[in-house]
Amino acid sequence: MTVHEEWTNQLSEYLDGELPADERDAVEAHLKSCPPCAAVLNDLKRVVARASTVASHPPQADLWAGIAGRIERDAAARVVPFAAREARRVVFTLPQLAAAAALLIAVSGGIAWTVAERLRSETSLPVGTGSSASVAQPSRAADADGTSPATGTGAADFARVENVSMADAQYDAAVSDLEKALKAGRGQLDASTIAIVEHNLQIIDQAINQAREALASDPANSYLSSHLVEARRRKLDLLRRATALATETD
Amino acid sequence: MALHGETQAGSGLDSDVALAAGGDQTAFERLYRTHVARIHSLTRRMLSTQEADEVTQDIFVRTWQKLGQFRGDSAFSTWLHRLAVNVVIERRRSFAIQRERMSDDPAALDLLTVGPARADLKVDFESAIEQLPPGAREIFVLHDVEGYKHREIAVMLDIATGTSKRQLHRARMLMRQHLSGE
Repeated sequence: MTVHEEWTNQLSEYLDGELPADERDAVEAHLKSCPPCAAVLNDLKRVVARASTVASHPPQADLWAGIAGRIERDAAARVVPFAAREARRVVFTLPQLAAAAALLIAVSGGIAWTVAERLRSETSLPVGTGSSASVAQPSRAADADGTSPATGTGAADFARVENVSMADAQYDAAVSDLEKALKAGRGQLDASTIAIVEHNLQIIDQAINQAREALASDPANSYLSSHLVEARRRKLDLLRRATALATETD
Repeated sequence: MALHGETQAGSGLDSDVALAAGGDQTAFERLYRTHVARIHSLTRRMLSTQEADEVTQDIFVRTWQKLGQFRGDSAFSTWLHRLAVNVVIERRRSFAIQRERMSDDPAALDLLTVGPARADLKVDFESAIEQLPPGAREIFVLHDVEGYKHREIAVMLDIATGTSKRQLHRARMLMRQHLSGE
Protein backbone atom coordinates (compact mmCIF):
# COMPACT_ATOMS: atom_id res chain seq x y z
CA MET A 1 0.00 0.00 0.00
CA THR A 2 1.12 3.55 -0.61
CA VAL A 3 0.77 6.79 1.29
CA HIS A 4 -2.25 8.85 0.31
CA GLU A 5 -1.17 12.44 0.04
CA GLU A 6 -4.71 13.76 0.18
CA TRP A 7 -4.90 12.30 3.69
CA THR A 8 -1.36 12.88 4.90
CA ASN A 9 -1.69 16.55 4.00
CA GLN A 10 -4.18 16.81 6.84
CA LEU A 11 -2.12 14.98 9.40
CA SER A 12 -0.34 17.97 10.91
CA GLU A 13 -3.59 19.77 11.55
CA TYR A 14 -5.04 16.51 12.85
CA LEU A 15 -2.09 16.09 15.17
CA ASP A 16 -2.42 19.66 16.41
CA GLY A 17 -6.15 19.27 17.02
CA GLU A 18 -7.04 21.92 14.49
CA LEU A 19 -9.33 19.95 12.20
CA PRO A 20 -13.11 20.37 12.39
CA ALA A 21 -14.85 17.40 13.94
CA ASP A 22 -16.15 15.93 10.69
CA GLU A 23 -12.73 16.10 9.02
CA ARG A 24 -11.08 14.68 12.10
CA ASP A 25 -13.47 11.73 12.07
CA ALA A 26 -12.79 11.13 8.39
CA VAL A 27 -9.03 11.14 8.94
CA GLU A 28 -9.35 8.70 11.83
CA ALA A 29 -11.48 6.37 9.75
CA HIS A 30 -8.88 6.41 6.98
CA LEU A 31 -5.99 5.83 9.35
CA LYS A 32 -7.65 2.69 10.70
CA SER A 33 -7.66 1.16 7.24
CA CYS A 34 -4.37 2.53 5.92
CA PRO A 35 -1.18 1.44 7.74
CA PRO A 36 1.17 3.58 5.54
CA CYS A 37 -0.72 6.77 6.39
CA ALA A 38 -0.86 5.72 10.05
CA ALA A 39 2.91 5.25 9.92
CA VAL A 40 3.31 8.80 8.61
CA LEU A 41 1.24 10.07 11.53
CA ASN A 42 3.50 8.22 13.95
CA ASP A 43 6.54 9.78 12.30
CA LEU A 44 5.02 13.24 12.61
CA LYS A 45 4.32 12.63 16.27
CA ARG A 46 7.96 11.74 16.77
CA VAL A 47 9.07 14.89 14.95
CA VAL A 48 6.87 17.08 17.12
CA ALA A 49 7.98 15.37 20.31
CA ARG A 50 11.62 15.65 19.32
CA ALA A 51 11.31 19.31 18.36
CA SER A 52 9.83 20.24 21.70
CA THR A 53 12.81 18.80 23.53
CA VAL A 54 15.76 20.09 21.53
CA ALA A 55 18.35 21.48 23.86
CA SER A 56 19.73 24.99 23.77
CA HIS A 57 23.46 25.44 23.39
CA PRO A 58 25.49 28.54 24.15
CA PRO A 59 27.65 30.06 21.44
CA GLN A 60 31.12 28.63 21.06
CA ALA A 61 32.66 32.04 21.70
CA ASP A 62 31.73 34.31 24.59
CA LEU A 63 29.81 37.19 23.04
CA TRP A 64 29.64 39.33 26.16
CA ALA A 65 32.72 41.42 25.46
CA GLY A 66 31.28 42.59 22.16
CA ILE A 67 27.92 43.37 23.72
CA ALA A 68 29.47 45.29 26.61
CA GLY A 69 31.58 47.29 24.20
CA ARG A 70 28.60 48.28 22.14
CA ILE A 71 26.59 49.21 25.21
CA GLU A 72 29.34 51.44 26.50
CA ARG A 73 29.85 53.12 23.15
CA ASP A 74 26.19 53.70 22.64
CA ALA A 75 25.37 56.19 25.34
CA ALA A 76 21.91 56.58 23.93
CA ALA A 77 21.33 52.91 24.61
CA ARG A 78 21.15 53.61 28.32
CA VAL A 79 17.46 53.61 29.16
CA VAL A 80 16.31 54.13 32.70
CA PRO A 81 12.85 52.70 33.36
CA PHE A 82 10.11 55.17 34.00
CA ALA A 83 9.18 53.51 37.27
CA ALA A 84 12.74 53.87 38.53
CA ARG A 85 12.82 57.51 37.53
CA GLU A 86 9.68 58.21 39.47
CA ALA A 87 10.95 56.48 42.57
CA ARG A 88 14.32 58.18 42.88
CA ARG A 89 15.51 61.70 43.39
CA VAL A 90 16.16 63.64 40.22
CA VAL A 91 19.79 64.66 39.97
CA PHE A 92 20.13 66.29 36.57
CA THR A 93 20.76 69.97 36.38
CA LEU A 94 19.46 72.66 34.08
CA PRO A 95 22.58 72.50 31.85
CA GLN A 96 22.01 68.76 31.55
CA LEU A 97 18.42 69.36 30.67
CA ALA A 98 19.54 71.88 28.10
CA ALA A 99 21.92 69.33 26.62
CA ALA A 100 19.13 66.79 26.46
CA ALA A 101 17.00 69.42 24.82
CA ALA A 102 19.63 70.01 22.17
CA LEU A 103 19.70 66.31 21.44
CA LEU A 104 15.94 66.26 21.21
CA ILE A 105 16.08 69.11 18.71
CA ALA A 106 18.47 67.11 16.57
CA VAL A 107 16.46 63.95 16.78
CA SER A 108 13.15 65.67 16.21
CA GLY A 109 14.67 67.58 13.33
CA GLY A 110 15.89 64.34 11.84
CA ILE A 111 12.44 62.88 12.08
CA ALA A 112 10.88 65.93 10.48
CA TRP A 113 13.49 65.92 7.74
CA THR A 114 13.00 62.23 7.10
CA VAL A 115 9.25 62.56 6.90
CA ALA A 116 9.57 65.53 4.60
CA GLU A 117 12.01 63.69 2.36
CA ARG A 118 9.79 60.64 2.21
CA LEU A 119 6.84 62.79 1.29
CA ARG A 120 8.85 64.63 -1.33
CA SER A 121 10.18 61.50 -2.96
CA GLU A 122 7.16 59.25 -2.71
CA THR A 123 4.16 61.49 -3.09
CA SER A 124 5.64 64.68 -4.59
CA LEU A 125 3.60 66.71 -2.12
CA PRO A 126 4.89 70.22 -1.48
CA VAL A 127 6.88 70.28 1.73
CA GLY A 128 7.83 73.30 3.79
CA THR A 129 11.53 74.07 3.70
CA GLY A 130 11.73 76.38 6.69
CA SER A 131 12.10 74.87 10.08
CA SER A 132 12.39 71.32 8.83
CA ALA A 133 15.35 72.10 6.64
CA SER A 134 16.98 74.25 9.24
CA VAL A 135 17.10 71.48 11.80
CA ALA A 136 18.03 68.76 9.35
CA GLN A 137 21.73 69.45 9.21
CA PRO A 138 22.63 68.90 12.87
CA SER A 139 20.83 65.58 12.85
CA ARG A 140 22.61 64.36 9.73
CA ALA A 141 25.93 65.53 11.04
CA ALA A 142 25.29 63.70 14.28
CA ASP A 143 24.52 60.56 12.33
CA ALA A 144 27.74 60.86 10.43
CA ASP A 145 29.92 60.82 13.51
CA GLY A 146 27.89 58.14 15.19
CA THR A 147 26.63 60.24 18.05
CA SER A 148 22.98 60.17 17.11
CA PRO A 149 20.77 57.68 18.92
CA ALA A 150 19.50 56.69 15.51
CA THR A 151 22.79 55.12 14.57
CA GLY A 152 24.50 51.88 15.31
CA THR A 153 21.80 49.74 16.78
CA GLY A 154 18.78 50.69 14.72
CA ALA A 155 16.60 53.21 16.50
CA ALA A 156 13.94 52.82 13.84
CA ASP A 157 13.75 49.13 14.60
CA PHE A 158 13.81 49.96 18.27
CA ALA A 159 10.68 52.04 17.84
CA ARG A 160 8.93 49.58 15.59
CA VAL A 161 8.68 46.89 18.22
CA GLU A 162 7.47 49.42 20.70
CA ASN A 163 3.99 49.72 19.26
CA VAL A 164 2.21 48.00 22.08
CA SER A 165 3.52 50.18 24.87
CA MET A 166 3.02 53.31 22.79
CA ALA A 167 -0.55 52.48 21.85
CA ASP A 168 -2.78 55.52 21.41
CA ALA A 169 -4.89 55.10 24.52
CA GLN A 170 -1.92 54.45 26.77
CA TYR A 171 0.07 57.24 25.26
CA ASP A 172 -2.67 59.84 25.33
CA ALA A 173 -3.49 59.03 28.93
CA ALA A 174 0.16 59.25 29.96
CA VAL A 175 0.70 62.54 28.15
CA SER A 176 -2.48 63.98 29.62
CA ASP A 177 -1.47 63.02 33.16
CA LEU A 178 2.02 64.42 32.75
CA GLU A 179 0.80 67.65 31.23
CA LYS A 180 -1.50 68.13 34.20
CA ALA A 181 1.31 67.37 36.62
CA LEU A 182 3.65 69.72 34.80
CA LYS A 183 1.05 72.44 34.81
CA ALA A 184 0.58 72.00 38.54
CA GLY A 185 4.32 72.16 39.15
CA ARG A 186 5.05 74.86 36.65
CA GLY A 187 5.46 77.46 39.34
CA GLN A 188 8.40 75.50 40.75
CA LEU A 189 10.44 75.85 37.57
CA ASP A 190 12.32 78.91 36.52
CA ALA A 191 11.48 80.72 33.33
CA SER A 192 14.46 79.49 31.33
CA THR A 193 13.67 75.86 32.12
CA ILE A 194 10.06 76.34 31.13
CA ALA A 195 11.18 77.98 27.90
CA ILE A 196 13.47 75.08 27.03
CA VAL A 197 10.81 72.50 27.76
CA GLU A 198 8.12 74.31 25.82
CA HIS A 199 10.40 74.96 22.89
CA ASN A 200 11.31 71.29 22.61
CA LEU A 201 7.76 70.11 23.08
CA GLN A 202 6.81 72.38 20.22
CA ILE A 203 9.48 70.85 17.99
CA ILE A 204 8.46 67.32 18.90
CA ASP A 205 4.80 68.09 18.33
CA GLN A 206 5.75 69.44 14.91
CA ALA A 207 7.53 66.18 14.11
CA ILE A 208 4.55 64.18 15.38
CA ASN A 209 2.14 66.17 13.25
CA GLN A 210 4.27 65.81 10.15
CA ALA A 211 4.56 62.08 10.67
CA ARG A 212 0.81 61.81 11.15
CA GLU A 213 0.15 63.76 7.98
CA ALA A 214 2.54 61.59 6.03
CA LEU A 215 0.94 58.44 7.46
CA ALA A 216 -2.46 59.69 6.38
CA SER A 217 -1.14 59.52 2.82
CA ASP A 218 0.66 56.25 3.32
CA PRO A 219 -0.89 54.39 6.27
CA ALA A 220 1.02 51.16 5.69
CA ASN A 221 4.44 52.78 5.77
CA SER A 222 6.22 51.16 8.69
CA TYR A 223 9.13 53.55 8.26
CA LEU A 224 6.90 56.52 9.03
CA SER A 225 5.17 54.61 11.81
CA SER A 226 8.45 54.00 13.54
CA HIS A 227 9.31 57.69 13.43
CA LEU A 228 5.94 58.61 14.82
CA VAL A 229 6.40 56.20 17.68
CA GLU A 230 9.88 57.50 18.36
CA ALA A 231 8.72 61.13 18.36
CA ARG A 232 5.89 60.28 20.74
CA ARG A 233 8.29 58.45 23.00
CA ARG A 234 10.53 61.52 23.02
CA LYS A 235 7.64 63.70 24.01
CA LEU A 236 6.67 61.37 26.81
CA ASP A 237 10.25 61.23 28.03
CA LEU A 238 10.64 65.00 28.03
CA LEU A 239 7.37 65.44 29.89
CA ARG A 240 8.46 62.92 32.48
CA ARG A 241 11.79 64.62 32.97
CA ALA A 242 10.23 68.04 33.25
CA THR A 243 7.60 66.81 35.68
CA ALA A 244 10.24 65.11 37.78
CA LEU A 245 12.26 68.32 37.84
CA ALA A 246 9.22 70.27 38.97
CA THR A 247 8.63 67.69 41.70
CA GLU A 248 12.28 67.81 42.72
CA THR A 249 12.21 71.56 43.21
CA ASP A 250 8.86 71.41 44.95
CA MET B 1 1.75 31.66 24.97
CA ALA B 2 3.73 29.17 27.03
CA LEU B 3 7.11 28.77 25.49
CA HIS B 4 8.74 25.37 25.56
CA GLY B 5 11.14 25.12 28.44
CA GLU B 6 10.07 28.38 29.99
CA THR B 7 10.44 28.73 33.69
CA GLN B 8 9.07 31.30 36.04
CA ALA B 9 11.51 34.07 36.68
CA GLY B 10 12.92 33.90 40.18
CA SER B 11 13.40 36.79 42.52
CA GLY B 12 17.12 36.90 41.73
CA LEU B 13 16.42 37.26 38.06
CA ASP B 14 13.72 39.83 38.75
CA SER B 15 16.16 41.91 40.73
CA ASP B 16 18.72 41.61 37.96
CA VAL B 17 16.17 42.91 35.49
CA ALA B 18 15.48 45.89 37.73
CA LEU B 19 19.17 46.53 38.31
CA ALA B 20 19.99 46.24 34.63
CA ALA B 21 17.14 48.57 33.74
CA GLY B 22 18.74 51.08 36.07
CA GLY B 23 22.03 50.86 34.20
CA ASP B 24 23.81 48.07 36.07
CA GLN B 25 25.92 46.28 33.46
CA THR B 26 26.98 43.56 35.86
CA ALA B 27 23.35 42.62 36.42
CA PHE B 28 22.77 42.72 32.69
CA GLU B 29 25.70 40.40 32.14
CA ARG B 30 24.06 37.93 34.52
CA LEU B 31 20.88 38.14 32.48
CA TYR B 32 22.91 37.60 29.33
CA ARG B 33 24.55 34.48 30.74
CA THR B 34 21.20 33.12 31.90
CA HIS B 35 19.52 33.52 28.52
CA VAL B 36 22.25 33.45 25.88
CA ALA B 37 22.01 29.74 25.14
CA ARG B 38 18.34 29.90 24.32
CA ILE B 39 18.63 33.10 22.30
CA HIS B 40 21.67 31.91 20.38
CA SER B 41 19.94 28.61 19.61
CA LEU B 42 16.92 30.49 18.31
CA THR B 43 19.01 32.65 16.00
CA ARG B 44 21.06 29.70 14.81
CA ARG B 45 17.97 27.69 13.97
CA MET B 46 16.12 30.52 12.28
CA LEU B 47 19.06 32.09 10.48
CA SER B 48 22.37 30.29 10.30
CA THR B 49 25.34 29.39 12.43
CA GLN B 50 27.32 32.08 10.64
CA GLU B 51 24.85 34.82 11.51
CA ALA B 52 23.92 33.63 14.98
CA ASP B 53 26.76 35.32 16.90
CA GLU B 54 26.22 38.73 15.36
CA VAL B 55 22.44 38.65 15.66
CA THR B 56 22.62 37.42 19.25
CA GLN B 57 24.75 40.44 20.07
CA ASP B 58 22.24 42.69 18.32
CA ILE B 59 19.46 41.16 20.38
CA PHE B 60 21.16 41.79 23.70
CA VAL B 61 22.12 45.33 22.79
CA ARG B 62 18.51 45.94 21.80
CA THR B 63 17.40 44.37 25.06
CA TRP B 64 19.61 46.76 27.00
CA GLN B 65 18.10 49.67 25.12
CA LYS B 66 14.54 48.55 25.73
CA LEU B 67 14.74 47.34 29.31
CA GLY B 68 13.02 50.50 30.46
CA GLN B 69 9.92 49.39 28.60
CA PHE B 70 9.69 46.02 30.32
CA ARG B 71 6.76 46.36 32.69
CA GLY B 72 6.66 42.85 34.08
CA ASP B 73 3.35 41.97 32.45
CA SER B 74 4.97 38.71 31.36
CA ALA B 75 8.04 36.78 32.42
CA PHE B 76 11.25 38.50 31.39
CA SER B 77 12.20 35.41 29.39
CA THR B 78 8.99 35.68 27.38
CA TRP B 79 9.54 39.36 26.73
CA LEU B 80 13.17 38.79 25.75
CA HIS B 81 12.25 35.91 23.49
CA ARG B 82 9.64 37.90 21.64
CA LEU B 83 12.10 40.74 21.17
CA ALA B 84 14.62 38.23 19.83
CA VAL B 85 12.12 36.83 17.37
CA ASN B 86 11.38 40.36 16.16
CA VAL B 87 15.06 41.05 15.61
CA VAL B 88 15.49 37.80 13.71
CA ILE B 89 12.49 38.53 11.53
CA GLU B 90 13.76 42.02 10.79
CA ARG B 91 17.11 40.54 9.83
CA ARG B 92 15.48 38.16 7.43
CA ARG B 93 13.40 40.92 5.93
CA SER B 94 16.47 43.07 5.52
CA PHE B 95 17.67 40.56 2.99
CA ALA B 96 14.41 40.97 1.10
CA ILE B 97 13.80 37.26 0.99
CA GLN B 98 10.81 36.91 3.24
CA ARG B 99 8.07 36.93 0.65
CA GLU B 100 9.87 34.60 -1.68
CA ARG B 101 10.36 32.17 1.14
CA MET B 102 6.76 32.38 2.20
CA SER B 103 5.37 31.64 -1.23
CA ASP B 104 3.57 28.38 -1.67
CA ASP B 105 5.67 27.41 -4.62
CA PRO B 106 4.20 24.19 -6.08
CA ALA B 107 7.66 23.07 -7.10
CA ALA B 108 8.91 23.49 -3.58
CA LEU B 109 5.99 21.53 -2.24
CA ASP B 110 7.06 18.64 -4.43
CA LEU B 111 9.67 18.10 -1.78
CA LEU B 112 6.91 16.48 0.22
CA THR B 113 7.02 13.48 -2.06
CA VAL B 114 10.70 12.87 -1.50
CA GLY B 115 11.33 9.28 -0.46
CA PRO B 116 13.22 8.01 2.55
CA ALA B 117 16.55 9.72 3.16
CA ARG B 118 19.70 7.96 2.03
CA ALA B 119 21.78 6.66 4.89
CA ASP B 120 24.79 8.70 3.84
CA LEU B 121 22.72 11.88 3.96
CA LYS B 122 21.43 11.39 7.47
CA VAL B 123 22.22 14.24 9.84
CA ASP B 124 21.27 15.04 13.39
CA PHE B 125 18.03 16.76 14.22
CA GLU B 126 19.58 20.21 14.69
CA SER B 127 21.40 20.06 11.39
CA ALA B 128 18.26 18.84 9.72
CA ILE B 129 16.43 21.94 10.94
CA GLU B 130 19.11 24.13 9.39
CA GLN B 131 18.66 22.32 6.10
CA LEU B 132 14.94 22.98 5.87
CA PRO B 133 13.78 25.40 3.18
CA PRO B 134 13.76 28.86 4.80
CA GLY B 135 10.00 29.45 4.92
CA ALA B 136 9.27 26.05 6.37
CA ARG B 137 12.25 26.29 8.68
CA GLU B 138 11.29 29.43 10.57
CA ILE B 139 7.72 28.25 11.05
CA PHE B 140 8.88 24.86 12.25
CA VAL B 141 11.20 26.53 14.75
CA LEU B 142 8.58 29.00 15.95
CA HIS B 143 5.79 26.42 16.23
CA ASP B 144 7.32 23.10 17.13
CA VAL B 145 10.49 24.22 18.90
CA GLU B 146 9.46 27.50 20.49
CA GLY B 147 5.77 26.81 21.01
CA TYR B 148 4.13 29.73 19.22
CA LYS B 149 0.64 29.28 17.77
CA HIS B 150 -0.18 29.65 14.10
CA ARG B 151 -2.11 32.85 14.70
CA GLU B 152 0.88 34.35 16.51
CA ILE B 153 3.25 33.27 13.78
CA ALA B 154 0.95 34.69 11.13
CA VAL B 155 1.05 38.09 12.82
CA MET B 156 4.81 38.01 13.36
CA LEU B 157 5.59 37.01 9.79
CA ASP B 158 2.73 38.89 8.16
CA ILE B 159 1.40 35.80 6.44
CA ALA B 160 -1.91 33.94 6.39
CA THR B 161 -2.59 31.35 9.06
CA GLY B 162 -3.14 28.81 6.33
CA THR B 163 0.31 29.49 4.93
CA SER B 164 1.80 28.92 8.35
CA LYS B 165 0.00 25.57 8.63
CA ARG B 166 1.06 24.42 5.17
CA GLN B 167 4.68 25.36 5.75
CA LEU B 168 4.69 23.60 9.10
CA HIS B 169 3.38 20.41 7.56
CA ARG B 170 5.94 20.69 4.80
CA ALA B 171 8.69 21.04 7.39
CA ARG B 172 7.47 18.11 9.47
CA MET B 173 7.28 15.86 6.44
CA LEU B 174 10.85 16.73 5.59
CA MET B 175 12.04 16.32 9.16
CA ARG B 176 10.56 12.83 9.51
CA GLN B 177 13.19 11.61 7.09
CA HIS B 178 15.89 12.42 9.61
CA LEU B 179 14.44 10.70 12.64
CA SER B 180 15.78 7.28 11.85
CA GLY B 181 19.26 8.76 11.89
CA GLU B 182 19.05 9.53 15.59
